[in-house]
Amino acid sequence: MQSSYPDIPAGLVAHDLTDAAVELRVDPAIYPLQAVYGAAYIFIDRCYVFLDRPAADALRVTLTAKSGQADVGALRALIGEFANELISCAWRHQITQDNRVLLETVTLQAIAGAMGPPSLDDLASFDFSDQGFDDPLGIAMSWEEKHGKKPPPATTSEPTGDTTGDTTGNPTSGHGVEEPTP
Amino acid sequence: MTEPAFIDLRFDRSLYAGPAIDEAVKVFAAHGEFHMSEETDTWVVKLRALRPGPARTRRLAHELANYALGLTVQRGGA
Repeated sequence: MQSSYPDIPAGLVAHDLTDAAVELRVDPAIYPLQAVYGAAYIFIDRCYVFLDRPAADALRVTLTAKSGQADVGALRALIGEFANELISCAWRHQITQDNRVLLETVTLQAIAGAMGPPSLDDLASFDFSDQGFDDPLGIAMSWEEKHGKKPPPATTSEPTGDTTGDTTGNPTSGHGVEEPTP
Repeated sequence: MTEPAFIDLRFDRSLYAGPAIDEAVKVFAAHGEFHMSEETDTWVVKLRALRPGPARTRRLAHELANYALGLTVQRGGA
């Protein structure tokens, strides 16, 4: 392998015109293996891709032109496109890692919904005493639980001044039918 | 007439899945002669094409490696 390209840091990329191959050293601390797999998988229909570990803390990706011949410019373009794809795959991998909990939650809810309502046996064995979530602000509590019951209003025995009543002094509506009291 | 030379393909165990290599060798078995062995960190496939010519053997090695890598990725990794 010969090095190299002036626009690429030394030691990262080398090419071999005899084999029409170009290799890229990848730092696994920057690019996770899943990202390398993703980029390599995209390129296996365009060129031959081979992965190996020249050192314990390094990955090497070797791309070989399927035609068996390529010039310096073609190999430079090939490895440049691979490097771009590698960055894209690494970023998508990072997004997936960041949203893993959200994805698992949504998927779990979708699967649980597709399972249908629980059976009577499921309900019989369900532990209803388990607190499903914390409620430090008491949002899920009823008004009475939160503030206590309002005491009933005190009853007054003063006459209302209504002259239509029976001989016992109880006020009525005047038609002999008592109105319902709330 | 000399026998065509063998090529040693060394697949790192942390990068390639063993079953993927087995499957790839089965797929290309009709096109070459294969000898498989294991070392501490690598799967080793020694191969040569049935039809003579170093270019054919090189191409067979490249195609086998591509196929094994594709299967490894489809399996989710090594």
